[in-house]
Amino acid sequence: MDFMFAQLAGFGTAFLHLAGDPLTYAYLIASVFLGIVFGALPGLTATLAVTILTGFFGNRVPLDQSLIALIGAYVGAIYGGSYPSILLNIPGTAASAATAMDGYPLAKKGRGGEALGLTTTASFLGTLFGTLFLLLFVWLLLAISRNIASPEKALLALFGVLLSGTLMSEDIPLKGWISGLIGLSMAMVGLDPILSENRYTFGWSYLLSGFQVVPVLMGAFAVPQIVDGLRATAMVRETPRVGRIVPSFREILRRLPVIGRSGVIGTGIGALPGVGEDVAGWVSYGVGKAASPDGERFGKGSLNGLISAEAANNAAIGGALIPLLVLGIPGSPPAAALLGALKINKVIPGPTIDPALILHIVAILVMASFTMMLMGLFTARIFILVLRIPSTVFLPIVLVLTTIGSFSVGGGINDLYLMLGVGALATLMGILKYPIAPLVIGVILGGLFDETFRRALLVSGGDMSVFVTRPGAATLLFLNFALLLSQVGPVKRGMGRLWGRAA
Amino acid sequence: MGNTDISVLRARDFWSALALMAGSGFFLFKTAEIPFFNTANAGVRSAEWYNSAALVPYGLFSCLFLCGFGLLVVSIRDGGAARAFNAVGLAIDTAELNRIAAIAVCLLAYIAGLVPRVDFIIASALVLTALFWGFHRGQVRARWGATGLLAAPALYAFLVHTPQSEWRASDDDWVALGFWVIMVGAMLSDARRWPEGRGVAKAVAILSLVVPFLLVTAMAFGFRQNVPARSGVIFSQIELVFYTGLRPWWRATFGAPE
Repeated sequence: MDFMFAQLAGFGTAFLHLAGDPLTYAYLIASVFLGIVFGALPGLTATLAVTILTGFFGNRVPLDQSLIALIGAYVGAIYGGSYPSILLNIPGTAASAATAMDGYPLAKKGRGGEALGLTTTASFLGTLFGTLFLLLFVWLLLAISRNIASPEKALLALFGVLLSGTLMSEDIPLKGWISGLIGLSMAMVGLDPILSENRYTFGWSYLLSGFQVVPVLMGAFAVPQIVDGLRATAMVRETPRVGRIVPSFREILRRLPVIGRSGVIGTGIGALPGVGEDVAGWVSYGVGKAASPDGERFGKGSLNGLISAEAANNAAIGGALIPLLVLGIPGSPPAAALLGALKINKVIPGPTIDPALILHIVAILVMASFTMMLMGLFTARIFILVLRIPSTVFLPIVLVLTTIGSFSVGGGINDLYLMLGVGALATLMGILKYPIAPLVIGVILGGLFDETFRRALLVSGGDMSVFVTRPGAATLLFLNFALLLSQVGPVKRGMGRLWGRAA
Repeated sequence: MGNTDISVLRARDFWSALALMAGSGFFLFKTAEIPFFNTANAGVRSAEWYNSAALVPYGLFSCLFLCGFGLLVVSIRDGGAARAFNAVGLAIDTAELNRIAAIAVCLLAYIAGLVPRVDFIIASALVLTALFWGFHRGQVRARWGATGLLAAPALYAFLVHTPQSEWRASDDDWVALGFWVIMVGAMLSDARRWPEGRGVAKAVAILSLVVPFLLVTAMAFGFRQNVPARSGVIFSQIELVFYTGLRPWWRATFGAPE
């Protein structure tokens, strides 16, 4: 109990400090607005919003202020995806794909305003839910993480890449693993972290410091969106009429159990390394369908279905920050972009992270979710107008934003060439249905994996049993193998039969 | 995904698996250049195999090779190999290839040709206008017309001012500005036939200058970040006005920041 009070007191101090600075509001309003716009425009994603702002803020603006903008955009974009999902049946972001299942039927019935209002409230409460879990569990996990050494870190990084590859793949999981392995391999370029040995630079001195995170993020997430989205599109002239958006208090109270359940699911899924808000939304939607008394109405305009998806995808934000802050392993693609921002500001997440920074992040999340709710309830009509902007207008602007953002972070024109190269690779991989997120997570975790894997062997004098004799490492090794085996045909079929018999 | 989609995908997987195996094979070969067993420099033992910089790359590229082989097996088993040798089997869409090729030329012209050498506002105005006009209606003539008008000044800048020492020259800025004016004229003339009228095209022409102007000034003077082509004809004037007019006035009125 004392621990909880101490946590809340620490959070209160950070919150008051943040709330007392007028600059906070300027950053919050601008970034949450930008985030919602990015989320609302199909083709732009939360990851892209955070990545572009990372390029803008770089390391010239104090990290405290950069984080307000980045987290504000993250929260806003995950929520903003619900607008086109509900009103046009086009998910604004992958995270809001499940929202369209019930949101659009509601809008067709003339209940678009009600759907938007409940979505806003569910997203707000979901974000707070995830934030509360972050505040309470990050410390527990930080205490545990102090006992985590190189073998566990290496296996956890590998697990993050493999899990992300398994769950993010549209086609067979093998493609997700290939994508993750390509990312890990890309991280091998440059001077190695232990012996400073030159690897795969082909005589280009720029590559000595390895692939920079921001151009890789920009190339992987922005270029494929631009290539895919630049096609003839009819301009959206009309969006469905929406009535009253602000929901009644009684309605919110009635939906609290669903929001609570979805919040727990969203936070849990978000906390898995490399798994994002989209998976959280779908899993929560599936659980909601099975658990709700009105499950058969899901997909036909159920408010519970809508809330299940939306509360979970926003709760996943707090969850995704847990492994990021505790271990330096991002819980989702936007969290990977956030890690990029921390890295260029020389902040190393993990057991040695400054506790004040965690409280600062928690306070930002709370303020960002309040800002998001106020904007969602009272300025929704502006975001509905945004839906009418054609992709041929906003995608070229995204190209200019990514170009200047990528250029400014450090490497100048070479970073732009890198962005273009990674963009070409990511576009080709997208056409061939390889997921991109595992590649980026691989690039980010590759250095950590290389260093900790070799350090573990160095300490043990080359004895591979170090990955089996330590309980934590053995568990993680088992999880890695179990994950791989679970996707092998005969094992998968056997497990399916077992589940069927148990049911 | 439907059955047809899957069979097309497996046909494409056949080639991507082969490319993956070739790529990982090449990098395994390159990894052999990194010392592995019992490295010794000037008589000093510096690394064992388990600490070698080649250890993890060997593992990764071997796994990639095996995954590529696995994908090849999946592709052959699902009939991908049989469909992999003809355009129908691979579902090659020439219209889609044409569209992607035009975007690739635009991106390359903008990033490799214009951004390093031409004023950022002019370069961005060109690319914004070209991508809108070329792709908004999906007409091949407009697409390649816009691509050509973007690529021509990029090619000029690249060929005339190839080395970095010549990137400060301003003749390519004027050439690019001229091409932007021609492109806007062509777009407005073409837009007369659009159902949404000339309003959108006019808005894009204005936005194409305003957006990069705001971005580059915010980036350079607000966020204090590095920006491309600082010697560009428009940006150098903005910088001059800022440092000789705006900033001294601000400091005289509100005082210097701490």
